[in-house]
Amino acid sequence: MSEPIQRRDLPRGIRLLLRLLPQEYRDACEGDLIEEYERYVIPSRSRRAAKVWLWRSASKGALVGFGYRLYDLFTSESGTSDGRGGRHPRMGVGQMDIVAQDLRYALRRLVASPGFTLVAIVSLGLGVGVNTALFSVVNAVLVRGPQVADPGSLVEVYSETTEELQIGVSSWPDFRDVATLTDVFDGVTAYEMFFASQNQEDGSDLVLGELVSASFFKVLGVTPVLGRGFLPSEDEVPGRDPVVVVSQAFWKGRLGGDPGVVGRTLRLNGGLYTIVGVAPEGFTGMWPALSMDVWAPSMMMDQLMAFGNEGRYERRGSQSVFIKARLRAGVPLARAQAASSALAARLLEAYPEVDERLDFTLTPTLDVSVHPLVDKALVPVAGMLMAVVGLVLLIACTNLASFLLARGADRKKEVALRLALGARRGRLVRQLLTETMLLALAGGAVGVALADWTVRLLTRFQPPLPVPISLDLSLDRTVFLFALAVSLGAGMLFGLLPALQSTKPDIAPTLKAESHRGGAGRTGRLRSGLVVTQVAVSLVLLVGSGLFLRSLIAAQAIDPGFQAPEAAMISFETRTSGYEDAEALVALRQLQERVAAVPGVDAVAAADRLPLSASLSLEDFQIPGHEPPEGREGIALDAVSVGAGYLDLLQIPILSGRGIEASDTGGSEPVLVISQAMARRFWPGEDPVGQVIRTRGRDVRIVGVVRDTKVRTLGEAPRPLAYSPLEQNYHSLVTVIARGQGPAPETLAILRGTLNEFDPNLVIMSETTMPEHLGVMLFPARMAALLLAVSGGLGVLLAAVGLYGVVSYGVSRRTHEVGVRMSLGADPGSVVGLVIGGGLRLVIWGAAIGLGLAFAVTRAVERFLYGVSATDPLTFLGVPLLLLAVATLAAYVPARRASRVDPVTALRSE
Amino acid sequence: MSGRKNLGEFEQLLLLAVMRLGDDAYGVTMRREVEARTGREVSLGAIYPTMARLERKGLVSSFASEPTGERGGRSRRCFRLEPAGRRALEEARSMVDAMWKGFEEGKVGT
Repeated sequence: MSEPIQRRDLPRGIRLLLRLLPQEYRDACEGDLIEEYERYVIPSRSRRAAKVWLWRSASKGALVGFGYRLYDLFTSESGTSDGRGGRHPRMGVGQMDIVAQDLRYALRRLVASPGFTLVAIVSLGLGVGVNTALFSVVNAVLVRGPQVADPGSLVEVYSETTEELQIGVSSWPDFRDVATLTDVFDGVTAYEMFFASQNQEDGSDLVLGELVSASFFKVLGVTPVLGRGFLPSEDEVPGRDPVVVVSQAFWKGRLGGDPGVVGRTLRLNGGLYTIVGVAPEGFTGMWPALSMDVWAPSMMMDQLMAFGNEGRYERRGSQSVFIKARLRAGVPLARAQAASSALAARLLEAYPEVDERLDFTLTPTLDVSVHPLVDKALVPVAGMLMAVVGLVLLIACTNLASFLLARGADRKKEVALRLALGARRGRLVRQLLTETMLLALAGGAVGVALADWTVRLLTRFQPPLPVPISLDLSLDRTVFLFALAVSLGAGMLFGLLPALQSTKPDIAPTLKAESHRGGAGRTGRLRSGLVVTQVAVSLVLLVGSGLFLRSLIAAQAIDPGFQAPEAAMISFETRTSGYEDAEALVALRQLQERVAAVPGVDAVAAADRLPLSASLSLEDFQIPGHEPPEGREGIALDAVSVGAGYLDLLQIPILSGRGIEASDTGGSEPVLVISQAMARRFWPGEDPVGQVIRTRGRDVRIVGVVRDTKVRTLGEAPRPLAYSPLEQNYHSLVTVIARGQGPAPETLAILRGTLNEFDPNLVIMSETTMPEHLGVMLFPARMAALLLAVSGGLGVLLAAVGLYGVVSYGVSRRTHEVGVRMSLGADPGSVVGLVIGGGLRLVIWGAAIGLGLAFAVTRAVERFLYGVSATDPLTFLGVPLLLLAVATLAAYVPARRASRVDPVTALRSE
Repeated sequence: MSGRKNLGEFEQLLLLAVMRLGDDAYGVTMRREVEARTGREVSLGAIYPTMARLERKGLVSSFASEPTGERGGRSRRCFRLEPAGRRALEEARSMVDAMWKGFEEGKVGT
């Protein structure tokens, strides 16, 4: 056991949270928290899960306690009348009165200056709104996790093998072995995703499902709302039990919500499946952002996802499933880990031919959001996005603080008087804070409403991805708590400083006639500092959005190396559709002839995948004179199989030799066409046509060189790419591309119609048009540019409002001075110049600081940019100018008002 | 009801926890006791205000234990069931029992 935990070891945030509890039992609570954490939580959970527990318990405890405290506060008045004998020991009636009094007072003051109140609420609302909206996305993807019972006792069982990319998948036999570890696991389940086509009278639909072990629903603690989960017997014999559980959404949508759905059948990939259950609302499978339609027993895998890979349920080398296990109560993770590793060692010994290395590592499910590899990529991006919207909130809060400071200065005299009459400072601060808190809550409410609206827009939007994305973005409790915490935190943080500032007990000078010109001192400097901050922060945001916009424009102008603006394409799986490969190739030829014969279709071709697809396929090549990397058999290069006419259709010019032709069949000499980049890399200065290299265990002759195209991303440097004839290298997943005379959607409709007529049972994987396909590539850039542009725009707007406030407040304070100047003969123009100059000085300071910050910050996003450097001069010059223009406008309005001051009135205003 | 308010469900749970735990009733043990027996998650922030209310009604009493080096040096706030608390629990139970009379267990509803 390590050192006992001391109070100071508690994170500061937790100690602050506990301050929400009354003194009366705060210490006892803190002690309880430490004791439970140390004694029960740390030994039974991972470090991260324990930390999560600590924060959750502390914040929940503090909020609940605070709620009780408020409740007691407001009910203790009636408490004396309900016949209870006891008196409230700490919070008397007097206290209650004070709170009510503060609330009334604050409300009155807020209503009395509606302009200020509105600006403050809207500012905060915008800040809280963008934060809440983005957080609801982060929550859905990274925080919420699957809706299962007691996720704290679930662990992920990842296989570690010699595979280069450690995804952690296991084989089905491995899963069955892990399931025997019943002394450490209460239950074990495994799942793997599949696509199938649901055949209906009017064509077929793609369904997304998971093949699962019979224990799936039981282990996860998910109880079907209708029917049942799977019986152990339904996952014993391959292909014998065609049963499915359907999701709530699938049931309500495609099955019409029929209450008698259990017992009905579904046709999947041509086979009939009996529906045995309907999953509960909110349970969408094991992956956030993906919504499963159906679940089926793993023994149906040959029927549902064979892809020429039959019998995987007994093949140890075929690793494709994720395993989840539920720890037996009281079994520490370390013991389960030891048992799993021991099992892995036994398996390694028993099946040495499978792999040289095998281990099972256990990771608590709560420590994983999507998958460790995905988390590693996603968490920094999510963090960066949250930081961006956090900056918007910062600007909004700065506005709030600035306004509060101004009002505080106006109230200085009142405050000084009350202090002089014996009011305690704490009492006054509390009164001012009550006002801020009311503002914060109102701002929070506006923010939540805004977020709700944004999220509704977001859910309607379907990103152009191959799988249907369905995020449940509903504003759940976590999101609400987040919004509440953000608003109250912001209110507290930015209300406290002004409250302390305006209740400084410098009574004497204030009470003396100094009321007008005196206030400009410290308060003025603070407010100026706030404006400088705002300008600096919004400049950073704007520079960011400028860079991403420029990058987006540059990316849109990239030549991908192929041209088919009006092409449409449909991908399908021929083995699942019931074709042997040889049959499929024949059918494919017939299908292409049919499509080509449709009037309005100019060209048609086939390939196993398109350039710039999310999927990627590498092949090992042995090239004479080039050593493969250590431990590899060949040099891994991007490869694609294409049919005759493909290069023509995409207008990829042949530079030397010939392209892939119809005569390149399974029976003819194996050939290869390579890209310019590949020619340059392996045969610099030579013509590679005629060279023979090896791949997939046979010699292939290079017959042509074509111009480079983009292969994986638009931003990449030319990448070697090898084209094989489709008929010599067929993998059953094929895409048919057609170019028509009409617009792409029309061609797509023609293509779809012809395919359906050709074989209605074809398992369609995706259909899209070229513009949509390219849109996928630009999608992240578009989203980043959009988010930053919105944030930057909001930031500038808020900063302009803030600047306007500061300048116009300054004008109102200087009415006297302006009056004197004007009566001494100053012309209105010079007064305007004077006032604007004062405002612009702040902006220039802010811009200078912001530019420095932006230089430092944009380095971090450099790798996300395309075609524009992180120090793009146009952006770095343009943005400050834009900001300056906006700022001048914001300062001009009050300046003009100042110049219209009637000197006599101004002088009399003393 | 004769002017006195009946025990709420949560109050009953906490009082029962105190009764079961005897000399060892304080925040951590009570929380875990209720959770282990009912599966209901209980927040520390709810225990103390509720116990304070029960104490004001005279159903429990509380005292602070001597601080030891553990728990970050914080003392425990221990609770003891008072005779009035025991009576209140019994009353609550007999009321529920009276309403259940005549039904065999598990035969209602389904």
